[in-house]
Amino acid sequence: MTRPPEDAVVQAARRESVLALGTWLVAMTYTITYCYLYGYGRPVDTLSFVLWFPDWVFWGIIAPWLVCTMISVVFAFGIMGNESLGDEIDVDLSAETSSEGGHAG
Amino acid sequence: MPAEAAQAGYGTLAMLVVIMAISVWLGTQAQKAVERGGFIKGYFLGNRGLGAWALALTATVQSGGTFMGFPSLVYSYGWIVALWIAGYMVVPITGFAVLGKRFAQLSRRTGAITIPDLFDARYGNERLGLLASILIMAFMTFLMIAQFKAGALVMKLAWPGNTSLAMAEDVAVGGIDKPYYIGLAVFSLTVVGYTLIGGFLASVWTDLFQSVLMLVGVVILFLAVVPIASQAGMDRPTLDAMAATGPDYALGPGFSQQGQPPFLLLGAAISFFFVWPIGGMGSPASMVRVMACKDNNTLRRSIVLLSFYNLLIYIPLIVICICGRALLPNVAHADEIIPRLAIWSTQEWAGGSLIGGLILAAPFGAVMATVSTYLVVIASGVVRDIYQRFFRPRAGDAEIRRVSHVVMIAFGLIGVLSNIQPVGFLQTLIVFSTTATASSFVTPALMLAFWRRSTAAGSAAAMLAGAGTILTLFIVGSIAGGAAFQPYLLGGLEPIVWGLAVSAVAGITVSLMTSPPHEALVSQLFDAPAGKPLTAS
Repeated sequence: MTRPPEDAVVQAARRESVLALGTWLVAMTYTITYCYLYGYGRPVDTLSFVLWFPDWVFWGIIAPWLVCTMISVVFAFGIMGNESLGDEIDVDLSAETSSEGGHAG
Repeated sequence: MPAEAAQAGYGTLAMLVVIMAISVWLGTQAQKAVERGGFIKGYFLGNRGLGAWALALTATVQSGGTFMGFPSLVYSYGWIVALWIAGYMVVPITGFAVLGKRFAQLSRRTGAITIPDLFDARYGNERLGLLASILIMAFMTFLMIAQFKAGALVMKLAWPGNTSLAMAEDVAVGGIDKPYYIGLAVFSLTVVGYTLIGGFLASVWTDLFQSVLMLVGVVILFLAVVPIASQAGMDRPTLDAMAATGPDYALGPGFSQQGQPPFLLLGAAISFFFVWPIGGMGSPASMVRVMACKDNNTLRRSIVLLSFYNLLIYIPLIVICICGRALLPNVAHADEIIPRLAIWSTQEWAGGSLIGGLILAAPFGAVMATVSTYLVVIASGVVRDIYQRFFRPRAGDAEIRRVSHVVMIAFGLIGVLSNIQPVGFLQTLIVFSTTATASSFVTPALMLAFWRRSTAAGSAAAMLAGAGTILTLFIVGSIAGGAAFQPYLLGGLEPIVWGLAVSAVAGITVSLMTSPPHEALVSQLFDAPAGKPLTAS
């Protein structure tokens, strides 16, 4: 028996999930690497400032935070699909069985 | 007036009363909305009608700690706390885009009202739903009890004549006495009352209200404090704070007093990029709010709204607290920094007492909203996942309503009774419960949503392995450290990292070792309905 095609929402959600987790991984790698290299164990007299922030805080945290905010906008309105989530069903608990595979709504 | 002599005064008390009144009013409005649909879906899920603002500002990790605990860390340790909180830059994406769409779809397709409902329906296994329900209720009860104490302490610090402004456990604002008990009683009656009236929507709307209040507070405080500290240049706040502490205040791993351990070593920095984005994603309270969203467009707009909200809350708060260290370098208890700054900076303003009160009232609103959220999740677990599913499947709306109210009152009483003589390590219990919840549910949630081959046994193994790992690391830490209750940092990493890893290995391994799930059931939840085209509608 051939399997029916996978639901479009499942495919889109899986793709978006991978992209979101990828964004998290890249942000974490960049931020921690930059801050560790330029913010830890450094002579304090080499410190400079961007606005109120020590340079390593600005380039290691504030700048990527701004970039992530922009990515969120692009992700939400440019990448994320607007598929219908489908109709809702009402579940009657009294009609359910307790066996494995017995119900899915 | 010197900052050290500042008192909360009547303005703060007045603002707390206003917030309580607004919360009760929101509860009554929520009740009207609940009446428009079936009771159980309305009371526990708001008839799946959450809009973008409500979802964005209430579904992720924000509590009284945002306005008290976090500023206290910045004041104490300096700029390194920016790295500690930096994971929030991706919380909007991970919080809504990883599981959001699929959970919203699955909950509609299965008719699930609660997270255990969803596990039950996905695998057709009531025992898995029961396990999820027991874990959620156990961890949430710990979290809820701790928040009752925080609520009582905020009420106490607002008491006119009280000179302490901290809500930390070790300070206990003069000890556990009459104002504490009055605070506990008033707080409990208010929060249980409005939650009981309006259910899930009351909890969401008060949460939204406090989130807006918190943003207003941060903006006012930023405008009041930062220009004063930066008069001689934008680098002055940091330089002045360093003069009061030491050079480590502007560097990693952060400033620490003689003999104290460093604040944020590399392992801890990595760990907190798991704690906020991944831990928040695995919170059942967050998952259930995503299930309640109105539609897909709501999810998309929520990502954007929360991104800007986090940017406007956390970065200004860090700058404010660094300025606080420069302006008020010797505040006795770091937890007091926001209240002290609020009162000190607004004392010359017309109506300054009320504005200071508004800023102080924000954490109180946050604590109320948090308790309300936990009450709804716990009550839904008892009523829907246990009472209705196993004992009274045919129970009507009136009976479910009655039982829901009894359960909320019972757990409210547990919260009160547990805090008449509160235990001393509640903060550690909060950390334990939060990390254990995330470790128990992130892997099973991902398996449920995306992996066709996952099984009920695999999900149960992932839940138990995650919870067991956290429990083990806390037991080992407590024995090794000789303290009452503390985690063991294996490899320098926080327990959540190990909990997530062990949970993932257990979930995948056990799923592959057990029989595949029924294809018909999987197909019903993963494949396009018959006759439906693959393209987006």
